[in-house]
Amino acid sequence: MKKRKERIDRGIKVRAQDIFALTSYREMLYLLVPGAIPVVGLLCFAPMLSNYWREVIISTAIYALLAISWDMLMCAGLLSLGQSLFFGIGSYLAGSLNHYLGLPPILTIPLATIGGGLICTLLLLPVLRLRGIYFAMVTLVLPLMLSRLVEATRILGGTEGLTGLTPFPNQLTAVFLIQIVLLVTLFGFRRIKGSDYGLVITGISDNDRSVMSAGINIQWYKAQVVFLGASVGSFAGAFGTHMDMFAGMPGFALDYSIMPVAAAVVGGVGTFFGPLIGAFILVPLSEALRALGALRIVFYGLFLVIFVVGIPEGIFPYIQRKYQQVERWVDVT
Amino acid sequence: MPIWEARGTEEEMMLEVQNLMVFFENALALNDFEMEVREGQVVGVIGSNSAGKTTLMNTLSGLIIDMRIKEKRRGGQRITVYGKIVYRGEDITETRPTERVRKGIVLCRERHPIFPESDVLQNLRMAGYLRKKAEIRETIAYVFDLFPALIPLKSRKAGFMSGGEQQMLAVGMALVARPQLLLLDEPLLGLSPMMQQILVEAITHLKARSGITVVISEQFARPVLPMIDFGYIIENGMLTLTGTGPELMDNPEVKAAYFGV
Repeated sequence: MKKRKERIDRGIKVRAQDIFALTSYREMLYLLVPGAIPVVGLLCFAPMLSNYWREVIISTAIYALLAISWDMLMCAGLLSLGQSLFFGIGSYLAGSLNHYLGLPPILTIPLATIGGGLICTLLLLPVLRLRGIYFAMVTLVLPLMLSRLVEATRILGGTEGLTGLTPFPNQLTAVFLIQIVLLVTLFGFRRIKGSDYGLVITGISDNDRSVMSAGINIQWYKAQVVFLGASVGSFAGAFGTHMDMFAGMPGFALDYSIMPVAAAVVGGVGTFFGPLIGAFILVPLSEALRALGALRIVFYGLFLVIFVVGIPEGIFPYIQRKYQQVERWVDVT
Repeated sequence: MPIWEARGTEEEMMLEVQNLMVFFENALALNDFEMEVREGQVVGVIGSNSAGKTTLMNTLSGLIIDMRIKEKRRGGQRITVYGKIVYRGEDITETRPTERVRKGIVLCRERHPIFPESDVLQNLRMAGYLRKKAEIRETIAYVFDLFPALIPLKSRKAGFMSGGEQQMLAVGMALVARPQLLLLDEPLLGLSPMMQQILVEAITHLKARSGITVVISEQFARPVLPMIDFGYIIENGMLTLTGTGPELMDNPEVKAAYFGV
Protein backbone atom coordinates (compact mmCIF):
# COMPACT_ATOMS: atom_id res chain seq x y z
CA MET A 1 0.00 0.00 0.00
CA LYS A 2 1.44 3.33 -1.06
CA LYS A 3 1.00 6.42 1.01
CA ARG A 4 0.74 10.04 0.09
CA LYS A 5 0.99 13.14 2.22
CA GLU A 6 -2.15 15.16 1.91
CA ARG A 7 -2.51 18.85 2.68
CA ILE A 8 -5.88 20.06 3.84
CA ASP A 9 -7.19 23.26 5.36
CA ARG A 10 -7.84 23.19 9.05
CA GLY A 11 -11.51 22.93 9.94
CA ILE A 12 -11.26 26.08 11.98
CA LYS A 13 -9.94 27.97 8.95
CA VAL A 14 -12.81 26.83 6.78
CA ARG A 15 -15.36 27.70 9.45
CA ALA A 16 -13.71 31.01 10.23
CA GLN A 17 -14.10 32.17 6.64
CA ASP A 18 -17.84 32.18 7.21
CA ILE A 19 -20.08 34.49 9.19
CA PHE A 20 -20.29 31.76 11.84
CA ALA A 21 -16.82 32.77 12.95
CA LEU A 22 -18.53 35.38 15.06
CA THR A 23 -20.31 32.73 17.10
CA SER A 24 -17.33 31.17 18.76
CA TYR A 25 -14.49 32.68 20.77
CA ARG A 26 -12.06 30.09 19.49
CA GLU A 27 -12.68 31.02 15.89
CA MET A 28 -12.54 34.72 16.60
CA LEU A 29 -9.21 34.20 18.33
CA TYR A 30 -8.00 32.15 15.37
CA LEU A 31 -8.71 35.12 13.12
CA LEU A 32 -7.47 37.86 15.43
CA VAL A 33 -4.31 36.44 17.01
CA PRO A 34 -2.06 36.58 13.91
CA GLY A 35 -2.95 40.22 13.32
CA ALA A 36 -2.53 41.08 17.00
CA ILE A 37 1.00 39.67 17.27
CA PRO A 38 2.80 42.58 15.53
CA VAL A 39 0.60 45.17 17.24
CA VAL A 40 1.23 43.83 20.73
CA GLY A 41 4.83 42.97 19.97
CA LEU A 42 5.74 46.38 18.67
CA LEU A 43 3.77 48.59 21.03
CA CYS A 44 4.38 46.70 24.28
CA PHE A 45 7.94 45.47 24.00
CA ALA A 46 9.67 48.56 22.67
CA PRO A 47 9.23 50.67 25.85
CA MET A 48 10.76 47.87 27.91
CA LEU A 49 14.01 47.83 25.97
CA SER A 50 17.22 49.68 26.77
CA ASN A 51 18.06 52.92 24.98
CA TYR A 52 20.48 51.18 22.65
CA TRP A 53 17.98 48.53 21.55
CA ARG A 54 15.28 51.15 21.13
CA GLU A 55 17.65 52.82 18.72
CA VAL A 56 17.99 49.47 16.90
CA ILE A 57 14.21 49.07 16.82
CA ILE A 58 13.88 52.49 15.22
CA SER A 59 16.37 51.74 12.46
CA THR A 60 14.75 48.32 11.99
CA ALA A 61 11.37 49.98 11.59
CA ILE A 62 12.84 52.37 9.01
CA TYR A 63 14.16 49.44 7.01
CA ALA A 64 10.84 47.63 7.47
CA LEU A 65 8.99 50.62 6.02
CA LEU A 66 11.34 50.68 3.05
CA ALA A 67 10.88 46.93 2.58
CA ILE A 68 7.10 47.28 2.67
CA SER A 69 7.30 50.07 0.13
CA TRP A 70 9.50 47.83 -2.07
CA ASP A 71 6.92 45.09 -1.75
CA MET A 72 4.15 47.47 -2.81
CA LEU A 73 6.04 48.30 -6.03
CA MET A 74 6.73 44.60 -6.53
CA CYS A 75 3.00 43.88 -6.37
CA ALA A 76 2.58 45.94 -9.55
CA GLY A 77 5.50 44.15 -11.17
CA LEU A 78 7.88 47.07 -10.71
CA LEU A 79 11.20 45.67 -9.54
CA SER A 80 12.85 48.57 -7.76
CA LEU A 81 16.46 48.70 -6.65
CA GLY A 82 16.24 52.30 -5.53
CA GLN A 83 14.45 52.60 -2.21
CA SER A 84 17.24 55.03 -1.31
CA LEU A 85 15.76 57.43 -3.88
CA PHE A 86 12.58 57.63 -1.78
CA PHE A 87 14.56 57.75 1.44
CA GLY A 88 16.92 60.45 0.22
CA ILE A 89 14.21 62.67 -1.26
CA GLY A 90 12.14 62.44 1.92
CA SER A 91 15.18 63.14 4.02
CA TYR A 92 16.27 66.18 2.02
CA LEU A 93 12.72 67.57 1.83
CA ALA A 94 12.16 67.35 5.57
CA GLY A 95 15.68 68.59 6.24
CA SER A 96 15.42 71.67 4.04
CA LEU A 97 11.91 72.53 5.24
CA ASN A 98 13.25 72.44 8.78
CA HIS A 99 16.59 74.10 8.06
CA TYR A 100 15.55 76.91 5.72
CA LEU A 101 11.93 77.58 6.74
CA GLY A 102 12.19 76.55 10.38
CA LEU A 103 9.10 74.32 10.33
CA PRO A 104 8.74 71.88 13.25
CA PRO A 105 8.86 68.08 12.65
CA ILE A 106 5.10 67.83 13.07
CA LEU A 107 4.77 69.75 9.78
CA THR A 108 7.90 68.71 7.92
CA ILE A 109 7.26 64.99 8.18
CA PRO A 110 3.74 65.00 6.62
CA LEU A 111 4.84 67.53 4.00
CA ALA A 112 7.91 65.48 3.12
CA THR A 113 5.80 62.32 2.97
CA ILE A 114 3.33 63.70 0.45
CA GLY A 115 5.82 65.89 -1.40
CA GLY A 116 8.41 63.14 -1.57
CA GLY A 117 5.81 60.77 -2.97
CA LEU A 118 4.90 63.30 -5.65
CA ILE A 119 8.49 64.13 -6.58
CA CYS A 120 9.48 60.47 -6.83
CA THR A 121 6.41 59.67 -8.91
CA LEU A 122 7.26 62.52 -11.29
CA LEU A 123 10.87 61.34 -11.51
CA LEU A 124 9.81 57.78 -12.29
CA LEU A 125 6.90 58.71 -14.55
CA PRO A 126 8.91 58.50 -17.80
CA VAL A 127 10.16 54.99 -17.01
CA LEU A 128 6.89 53.51 -15.77
CA ARG A 129 6.41 51.81 -19.13
CA LEU A 130 9.55 49.78 -18.54
CA ARG A 131 9.40 46.52 -16.70
CA GLY A 132 11.77 44.22 -14.89
CA ILE A 133 15.46 44.87 -15.21
CA TYR A 134 15.07 48.15 -17.13
CA PHE A 135 13.00 49.75 -14.41
CA ALA A 136 15.44 48.35 -11.84
CA MET A 137 18.39 49.93 -13.64
CA VAL A 138 16.80 53.37 -13.71
CA THR A 139 15.80 53.24 -10.05
CA LEU A 140 19.29 52.08 -9.12
CA VAL A 141 20.96 54.92 -11.00
CA LEU A 142 18.67 57.81 -9.97
CA PRO A 143 19.74 58.05 -6.29
CA LEU A 144 23.43 57.76 -7.24
CA MET A 145 22.92 60.53 -9.77
CA LEU A 146 21.13 62.77 -7.28
CA SER A 147 23.80 62.35 -4.64
CA ARG A 148 26.50 63.32 -7.18
CA LEU A 149 24.35 66.28 -8.19
CA VAL A 150 24.29 67.49 -4.60
CA GLU A 151 28.03 67.00 -4.35
CA ALA A 152 28.84 68.81 -7.59
CA THR A 153 26.50 71.80 -7.29
CA ARG A 154 26.92 72.22 -3.53
CA ILE A 155 23.19 72.85 -3.10
CA LEU A 156 21.46 71.80 0.13
CA GLY A 157 24.69 71.91 2.09
CA GLY A 158 26.74 69.96 -0.42
CA THR A 159 28.87 67.20 1.05
CA GLU A 160 28.42 68.50 4.60
CA GLY A 161 24.67 68.14 4.47
CA LEU A 162 22.14 70.03 6.59
CA THR A 163 23.00 69.76 10.27
CA GLY A 164 21.44 70.83 13.54
CA LEU A 165 17.86 69.90 12.64
CA THR A 166 15.13 69.77 15.26
CA PRO A 167 15.14 66.39 17.05
CA PHE A 168 12.14 64.56 18.47
CA PRO A 169 11.23 65.60 22.03
CA ASN A 170 12.29 62.20 23.39
CA GLN A 171 13.14 58.74 22.21
CA LEU A 172 9.85 57.16 23.27
CA THR A 173 7.85 59.58 21.08
CA ALA A 174 9.99 58.62 18.12
CA VAL A 175 9.61 54.89 18.82
CA PHE A 176 5.84 55.10 19.09
CA LEU A 177 5.50 57.37 16.07
CA ILE A 178 7.39 55.09 13.72
CA GLN A 179 5.77 51.95 15.09
CA ILE A 180 2.27 53.31 14.69
CA VAL A 181 3.06 54.42 11.14
CA LEU A 182 4.58 51.00 10.44
CA LEU A 183 1.45 49.21 11.66
CA VAL A 184 -0.89 51.54 9.77
CA THR A 185 1.13 51.02 6.58
CA LEU A 186 1.26 47.27 7.08
CA PHE A 187 -2.45 46.77 7.63
CA GLY A 188 -3.41 49.50 5.19
CA PHE A 189 -1.38 47.97 2.37
CA ARG A 190 -2.69 44.52 3.19
CA ARG A 191 -6.22 45.86 2.98
CA ILE A 192 -5.43 47.59 -0.33
CA LYS A 193 -4.02 44.38 -1.73
CA GLY A 194 -7.09 42.42 -0.68
CA SER A 195 -9.49 44.83 -2.38
CA ASP A 196 -10.46 45.07 -6.05
CA TYR A 197 -7.82 47.75 -6.46
CA GLY A 198 -5.21 45.25 -5.31
CA LEU A 199 -6.56 42.76 -7.81
CA VAL A 200 -5.89 45.21 -10.65
CA ILE A 201 -2.37 45.80 -9.34
CA THR A 202 -1.60 42.09 -9.11
CA GLY A 203 -3.09 41.70 -12.56
CA ILE A 204 -0.69 44.30 -13.95
CA SER A 205 2.20 42.31 -12.59
CA ASP A 206 0.87 39.00 -13.94
CA ASN A 207 -0.21 40.03 -17.41
CA ASP A 208 -0.38 43.72 -18.19
CA ARG A 209 -1.81 43.25 -21.67
CA SER A 210 -4.86 41.44 -20.29
CA VAL A 211 -5.43 44.29 -17.84
CA MET A 212 -5.16 46.78 -20.71
CA SER A 213 -7.71 44.72 -22.62
CA ALA A 214 -10.09 45.13 -19.71
CA GLY A 215 -10.05 48.86 -20.41
CA ILE A 216 -7.83 49.87 -17.50
CA ASN A 217 -5.14 52.51 -17.89
CA ILE A 218 -2.22 50.64 -16.38
CA GLN A 219 0.16 53.64 -16.43
CA TRP A 220 -2.20 55.54 -14.17
CA TYR A 221 -2.42 52.59 -11.78
CA LYS A 222 1.34 52.11 -11.79
CA ALA A 223 1.79 55.82 -11.02
CA GLN A 224 -0.57 55.46 -8.05
CA VAL A 225 1.35 52.46 -6.76
CA VAL A 226 4.65 54.32 -7.10
CA PHE A 227 3.11 57.23 -5.21
CA LEU A 228 2.02 54.93 -2.38
CA GLY A 229 5.40 53.23 -2.18
CA ALA A 230 7.35 56.46 -2.52
CA SER A 231 5.31 58.19 0.18
CA VAL A 232 6.09 55.44 2.65
CA GLY A 233 9.76 55.54 1.67
CA SER A 234 9.82 59.32 1.98
CA PHE A 235 8.24 59.12 5.41
CA ALA A 236 11.05 56.80 6.47
CA GLY A 237 13.54 59.33 5.12
CA ALA A 238 11.92 62.31 6.83
CA PHE A 239 11.72 60.41 10.10
CA GLY A 240 15.34 59.28 9.86
CA THR A 241 16.44 62.86 9.21
CA HIS A 242 14.86 64.21 12.37
CA MET A 243 16.14 61.20 14.29
CA ASP A 244 19.75 61.87 13.27
CA MET A 245 19.27 65.65 13.18
CA PHE A 246 21.05 65.50 9.84
CA ALA A 247 20.11 65.37 6.16
CA GLY A 248 22.84 64.58 3.68
CA MET A 249 24.24 62.42 0.96
CA PRO A 250 24.20 59.22 3.08
CA GLY A 251 20.43 59.34 2.53
CA PHE A 252 21.06 58.11 -1.01
CA ALA A 253 23.33 55.30 0.20
CA LEU A 254 23.08 51.88 -1.37
CA ASP A 255 22.24 50.33 2.02
CA TYR A 256 18.72 51.70 1.83
CA SER A 257 18.25 50.04 -1.57
CA ILE A 258 19.69 46.60 -0.86
CA MET A 259 18.53 45.90 2.68
CA PRO A 260 14.78 46.21 1.89
CA VAL A 261 15.14 43.76 -0.99
CA ALA A 262 16.96 41.28 1.23
CA ALA A 263 14.35 41.69 3.97
CA ALA A 264 11.47 41.15 1.55
CA VAL A 265 13.05 38.09 -0.03
CA VAL A 266 13.77 36.50 3.34
CA GLY A 267 10.30 37.28 4.68
CA GLY A 268 8.27 36.47 1.59
CA VAL A 269 7.49 38.77 -1.33
CA GLY A 270 4.00 40.12 -1.82
CA THR A 271 2.69 39.67 1.72
CA PHE A 272 3.81 42.93 3.45
CA PHE A 273 4.05 40.93 6.68
CA GLY A 274 7.01 39.11 5.18
CA PRO A 275 9.19 42.19 4.61
CA LEU A 276 8.39 43.31 8.16
CA ILE A 277 9.50 39.96 9.58
CA GLY A 278 12.53 39.98 7.30
CA ALA A 279 13.61 43.43 8.46
CA PHE A 280 13.07 42.50 12.10
CA ILE A 281 15.34 39.48 11.63
CA LEU A 282 18.06 40.97 9.45
CA VAL A 283 18.65 44.38 11.02
CA PRO A 284 18.94 43.22 14.66
CA LEU A 285 20.99 40.27 13.40
CA SER A 286 23.42 42.63 11.73
CA GLU A 287 23.58 44.63 15.00
CA ALA A 288 24.16 41.52 17.09
CA LEU A 289 26.95 40.39 14.77
CA ARG A 290 28.80 43.66 15.31
CA ALA A 291 30.94 41.95 17.95
CA LEU A 292 32.46 39.74 15.28
CA GLY A 293 34.22 42.65 13.63
CA ALA A 294 35.26 42.06 10.06
CA LEU A 295 33.69 38.60 9.98
CA ARG A 296 30.28 40.21 10.45
CA ILE A 297 29.52 40.50 6.75
CA VAL A 298 30.55 36.87 6.18
CA PHE A 299 28.15 35.55 8.80
CA TYR A 300 25.46 37.94 7.71
CA GLY A 301 25.76 36.73 4.13
CA LEU A 302 25.76 33.13 5.33
CA PHE A 303 22.50 33.68 7.22
CA LEU A 304 20.95 35.24 4.12
CA VAL A 305 21.95 32.26 1.99
CA ILE A 306 20.61 29.80 4.58
CA PHE A 307 17.26 31.59 4.70
CA VAL A 308 16.90 31.86 0.95
CA VAL A 309 17.92 28.26 0.26
CA GLY A 310 16.08 26.79 3.24
CA ILE A 311 12.76 28.63 2.89
CA PRO A 312 12.71 30.02 -0.65
CA GLU A 313 9.02 30.89 -0.41
CA GLY A 314 9.79 33.21 2.51
CA ILE A 315 9.25 32.93 6.23
CA PHE A 316 5.79 34.45 6.32
CA PRO A 317 4.14 32.25 3.65
CA TYR A 318 5.67 29.23 5.37
CA ILE A 319 4.25 30.17 8.76
CA GLN A 320 0.93 31.05 7.17
CA ARG A 321 0.73 27.66 5.51
CA LYS A 322 1.51 25.82 8.72
CA TYR A 323 -1.09 27.90 10.53
CA GLN A 324 -3.86 27.23 8.04
CA GLN A 325 -3.20 23.71 6.83
CA VAL A 326 -2.57 20.29 8.28
CA GLU A 327 -0.76 17.44 6.63
CA ARG A 328 -1.60 13.80 7.04
CA TRP A 329 -0.75 10.52 5.38
CA VAL A 330 -3.45 8.91 3.25
CA ASP A 331 -3.52 5.67 1.31
CA VAL A 332 -3.25 5.71 -2.44
CA THR A 333 -5.12 2.98 -4.20
CA MET B 1 15.07 6.04 -46.97
CA PRO B 2 15.24 6.93 -43.28
CA ILE B 3 17.25 9.93 -42.30
CA TRP B 4 18.18 8.58 -38.91
CA GLU B 5 17.75 5.03 -37.70
CA ALA B 6 15.20 4.05 -35.15
CA ARG B 7 17.25 1.75 -32.95
CA GLY B 8 14.67 -0.90 -32.10
CA THR B 9 13.13 -3.42 -34.39
CA GLU B 10 9.51 -3.38 -35.42
CA GLU B 11 6.90 -4.62 -32.96
CA GLU B 12 9.32 -4.62 -30.02
CA MET B 13 8.05 -3.04 -26.82
CA MET B 14 9.31 0.52 -26.58
CA LEU B 15 7.45 2.24 -23.79
CA GLU B 16 5.45 0.75 -20.99
CA VAL B 17 3.49 2.79 -18.49
CA GLN B 18 2.30 0.90 -15.44
CA ASN B 19 -0.22 2.12 -12.85
CA LEU B 20 0.66 5.75 -13.37
CA MET B 21 -0.92 8.09 -10.84
CA VAL B 22 -0.23 11.81 -10.69
CA PHE B 23 -1.53 14.07 -7.96
CA PHE B 24 -1.46 17.85 -8.04
CA GLU B 25 -1.82 18.50 -4.33
CA ASN B 26 -5.12 16.69 -3.63
CA ALA B 27 -6.40 16.64 -7.21
CA LEU B 28 -5.92 13.42 -9.09
CA ALA B 29 -4.76 14.25 -12.63
CA LEU B 30 -4.02 10.72 -13.81
CA ASN B 31 -5.58 7.68 -12.21
CA ASP B 32 -4.10 4.24 -12.70
CA PHE B 33 -3.08 4.88 -16.28
CA GLU B 34 -1.62 2.01 -18.29
CA MET B 35 -0.17 2.25 -21.76
CA GLU B 36 2.02 0.30 -24.12
CA VAL B 37 3.82 1.66 -27.14
CA ARG B 38 5.57 -0.60 -29.63
CA GLU B 39 8.45 0.41 -31.89
CA GLY B 40 7.37 2.23 -35.02
CA GLN B 41 3.80 2.79 -33.92
CA VAL B 42 1.84 6.00 -33.93
CA VAL B 43 -0.15 6.04 -30.72
CA GLY B 44 -2.91 8.51 -30.01
CA VAL B 45 -4.07 9.70 -26.61
CA ILE B 46 -7.49 11.22 -27.13
CA GLY B 47 -9.39 13.13 -24.50
CA SER B 48 -11.27 16.35 -23.94
CA ASN B 49 -9.94 19.26 -21.90
CA SER B 50 -8.80 18.44 -18.37
CA ALA B 51 -8.59 14.75 -19.22
CA GLY B 52 -4.92 14.62 -18.19
CA LYS B 53 -3.27 14.56 -21.62
CA THR B 54 -0.74 17.25 -20.90
CA THR B 55 0.06 15.75 -17.51
CA LEU B 56 0.71 12.43 -19.20
CA MET B 57 3.01 14.06 -21.74
CA ASN B 58 4.88 15.96 -19.03
CA THR B 59 5.27 12.75 -17.06
CA LEU B 60 6.55 10.80 -20.06
CA SER B 61 9.05 13.52 -20.95
CA GLY B 62 10.14 13.99 -17.35
CA LEU B 63 9.19 17.67 -17.17
CA ILE B 64 7.04 16.81 -14.17
CA ILE B 65 10.18 16.11 -12.15
CA ASP B 66 11.33 19.66 -12.74
CA MET B 67 7.86 21.03 -11.98
CA ARG B 68 7.79 19.00 -8.78
CA ILE B 69 11.09 20.39 -7.58
CA LYS B 70 10.15 23.98 -8.41
CA GLU B 71 6.78 23.74 -6.70
CA LYS B 72 8.35 22.16 -3.65
CA ARG B 73 10.89 24.95 -3.35
CA ARG B 74 8.21 27.59 -3.72
CA GLY B 75 6.02 25.83 -1.19
CA GLY B 76 3.31 25.57 -3.78
CA GLN B 77 1.35 22.54 -4.91
CA ARG B 78 2.83 19.22 -4.00
CA ILE B 79 3.09 16.98 -7.06
CA THR B 80 3.24 13.24 -6.43
CA VAL B 81 3.90 10.64 -9.08
CA TYR B 82 3.33 6.93 -8.57
CA GLY B 83 3.81 4.12 -11.02
CA LYS B 84 6.48 3.03 -13.38
CA ILE B 85 7.60 4.10 -16.84
CA VAL B 86 9.75 1.58 -18.68
CA TYR B 87 11.53 2.69 -21.84
CA ARG B 88 13.28 -0.04 -23.82
CA GLY B 89 13.53 -2.29 -20.79
CA GLU B 90 14.86 0.44 -18.54
CA ASP B 91 13.01 2.08 -15.66
CA ILE B 92 13.07 5.84 -16.36
CA THR B 93 10.50 6.98 -13.80
CA GLU B 94 13.03 9.16 -11.96
CA THR B 95 15.25 10.08 -14.92
CA ARG B 96 15.72 13.78 -15.47
CA PRO B 97 14.24 15.35 -18.65
CA THR B 98 17.68 16.18 -20.10
CA GLU B 99 18.72 12.53 -19.74
CA ARG B 100 15.51 11.43 -21.43
CA VAL B 101 16.22 13.63 -24.44
CA ARG B 102 19.63 11.95 -24.72
CA LYS B 103 17.85 8.60 -24.66
CA GLY B 104 15.66 9.82 -27.51
CA ILE B 105 12.42 10.90 -25.86
CA VAL B 106 11.59 14.37 -27.19
CA LEU B 107 8.49 16.33 -26.30
CA CYS B 108 6.89 19.05 -28.40
CA ARG B 109 4.94 21.01 -25.80
CA GLU B 110 1.50 22.45 -26.42
CA ARG B 111 0.83 26.03 -27.62
CA HIS B 112 3.75 26.51 -29.99
CA PRO B 113 6.76 26.36 -27.66
CA ILE B 114 9.21 28.35 -29.79
CA PHE B 115 11.72 31.10 -29.08
CA PRO B 116 9.77 34.15 -30.30
CA GLU B 117 12.77 36.50 -30.54
CA SER B 118 14.89 34.23 -32.74
CA ASP B 119 14.36 33.48 -36.41
CA VAL B 120 13.30 30.13 -37.79
CA LEU B 121 16.76 28.81 -38.58
CA GLN B 122 18.11 29.81 -35.19
CA ASN B 123 15.17 28.08 -33.54
CA LEU B 124 15.84 24.88 -35.43
CA ARG B 125 19.56 24.97 -34.68
CA MET B 126 18.96 25.58 -31.02
CA ALA B 127 16.69 22.56 -30.82
CA GLY B 128 19.48 20.36 -32.18
CA TYR B 129 21.96 21.44 -29.56
CA LEU B 130 22.89 17.87 -28.64
CA ARG B 131 23.55 16.81 -32.22
CA LYS B 132 26.54 17.18 -34.53
CA LYS B 133 26.59 20.09 -37.00
CA ALA B 134 26.29 17.85 -40.05
CA GLU B 135 23.37 16.00 -38.49
CA ILE B 136 21.62 19.27 -37.75
CA ARG B 137 22.08 20.47 -41.34
CA GLU B 138 20.69 17.20 -42.63
CA THR B 139 17.64 17.22 -40.35
CA ILE B 140 16.91 20.87 -41.05
CA ALA B 141 16.84 20.10 -44.77
CA TYR B 142 14.48 17.25 -43.94
CA VAL B 143 12.23 19.55 -41.89
CA PHE B 144 12.01 22.01 -44.78
CA ASP B 145 11.23 19.08 -47.01
CA LEU B 146 8.43 18.07 -44.65
CA PHE B 147 7.06 21.60 -44.24
CA PRO B 148 7.77 23.52 -47.47
CA ALA B 149 5.76 26.43 -46.08
CA LEU B 150 8.64 27.23 -43.73
CA ILE B 151 11.23 27.75 -46.48
CA PRO B 152 10.32 31.37 -47.37
CA LEU B 153 10.17 32.21 -43.63
CA LYS B 154 13.73 31.09 -42.82
CA SER B 155 14.90 34.44 -41.51
CA ARG B 156 11.59 35.62 -40.06
CA LYS B 157 11.35 36.14 -36.31
CA ALA B 158 9.39 33.15 -34.98
CA GLY B 159 7.17 35.30 -32.76
CA PHE B 160 5.75 37.08 -35.81
CA MET B 161 4.59 33.93 -37.59
CA SER B 162 1.04 32.64 -37.65
CA GLY B 163 -0.13 29.94 -35.25
CA GLY B 164 0.05 27.21 -37.88
CA GLU B 165 3.55 28.17 -38.96
CA GLN B 166 4.66 28.28 -35.34
CA GLN B 167 3.26 24.80 -34.78
CA MET B 168 5.09 23.48 -37.85
CA LEU B 169 8.25 25.03 -36.52
CA ALA B 170 7.66 23.47 -33.09
CA VAL B 171 7.29 20.00 -34.61
CA GLY B 172 10.35 20.68 -36.74
CA MET B 173 12.33 21.67 -33.66
CA ALA B 174 11.42 18.42 -31.95
CA LEU B 175 12.62 16.54 -35.05
CA VAL B 176 16.00 18.28 -35.15
CA ALA B 177 16.79 16.60 -31.82
CA ARG B 178 16.40 13.31 -33.75
CA PRO B 179 13.96 11.57 -31.42
CA GLN B 180 13.42 7.85 -31.12
CA LEU B 181 10.12 8.52 -29.39
CA LEU B 182 8.42 11.77 -30.40
CA LEU B 183 5.79 13.10 -28.01
CA LEU B 184 3.42 15.62 -29.57
CA ASP B 185 1.22 17.47 -27.11
CA GLU B 186 -1.88 18.82 -28.86
CA PRO B 187 -0.18 19.58 -32.18
CA LEU B 188 -3.49 20.60 -33.75
CA LEU B 189 -4.52 23.08 -31.05
CA GLY B 190 -5.89 26.26 -32.53
CA LEU B 191 -5.28 25.34 -36.14
CA SER B 192 -7.74 25.52 -39.01
CA PRO B 193 -8.90 22.20 -40.54
CA MET B 194 -6.63 22.77 -43.53
CA MET B 195 -3.61 23.42 -41.35
CA GLN B 196 -4.53 20.36 -39.30
CA GLN B 197 -4.54 18.28 -42.47
CA ILE B 198 -1.08 19.51 -43.44
CA LEU B 199 0.31 18.57 -40.03
CA VAL B 200 -1.39 15.17 -40.00
CA GLU B 201 0.02 14.42 -43.44
CA ALA B 202 3.45 15.48 -42.29
CA ILE B 203 3.26 13.15 -39.30
CA THR B 204 2.14 10.24 -41.49
CA HIS B 205 4.96 10.99 -43.88
CA LEU B 206 7.38 11.20 -41.00
CA LYS B 207 6.34 7.80 -39.75
CA ALA B 208 6.73 6.21 -43.16
CA ARG B 209 10.08 7.81 -43.79
CA SER B 210 12.00 7.74 -40.55
CA GLY B 211 10.37 4.89 -38.70
CA ILE B 212 10.33 6.71 -35.39
CA THR B 213 7.64 6.16 -32.81
CA VAL B 214 5.12 8.91 -32.16
CA VAL B 215 2.71 9.53 -29.31
CA ILE B 216 0.11 12.20 -30.06
CA SER B 217 -2.22 13.64 -27.48
CA GLU B 218 -5.15 15.41 -29.03
CA GLN B 219 -8.73 16.41 -28.42
CA PHE B 220 -9.69 16.46 -32.09
CA ALA B 221 -10.41 12.79 -32.76
CA ARG B 222 -11.55 13.21 -36.35
CA PRO B 223 -8.22 14.02 -38.03
CA VAL B 224 -6.13 11.93 -35.65
CA LEU B 225 -7.98 8.61 -35.41
CA PRO B 226 -7.44 7.53 -39.06
CA MET B 227 -3.67 7.84 -38.83
CA ILE B 228 -2.96 6.11 -35.54
CA ASP B 229 -2.05 2.47 -35.02
CA PHE B 230 -3.39 2.34 -31.52
CA GLY B 231 -5.45 4.73 -29.47
CA TYR B 232 -6.17 5.41 -25.82
CA ILE B 233 -9.19 7.43 -24.81
CA ILE B 234 -8.97 9.09 -21.41
CA GLU B 235 -11.51 10.96 -19.39
CA ASN B 236 -10.78 12.70 -16.10
CA GLY B 237 -7.46 10.93 -15.86
CA MET B 238 -9.00 7.48 -16.31
CA LEU B 239 -8.53 5.18 -19.24
CA THR B 240 -11.97 4.53 -20.73
CA LEU B 241 -11.32 2.85 -24.09
CA THR B 242 -8.46 1.37 -26.01
CA GLY B 243 -8.23 -0.02 -29.50
CA THR B 244 -6.76 0.38 -32.93
CA GLY B 245 -7.67 3.41 -34.98
CA PRO B 246 -10.45 1.81 -37.05
CA GLU B 247 -11.87 0.05 -33.98
CA LEU B 248 -12.17 3.32 -32.14
CA MET B 249 -13.71 5.03 -35.14
CA ASP B 250 -16.44 2.42 -35.31
CA ASN B 251 -17.13 2.53 -31.60
CA PRO B 252 -20.55 4.10 -30.95
CA GLU B 253 -19.42 5.83 -27.75
CA VAL B 254 -16.49 7.48 -29.49
CA LYS B 255 -18.75 8.48 -32.34
CA ALA B 256 -21.18 10.11 -29.96
CA ALA B 257 -18.53 11.89 -27.91
CA TYR B 258 -16.01 12.98 -30.53
CA PHE B 259 -17.75 12.95 -33.90
CA GLY B 260 -21.06 14.34 -32.76
CA VAL B 261 -23.01 11.74 -34.71
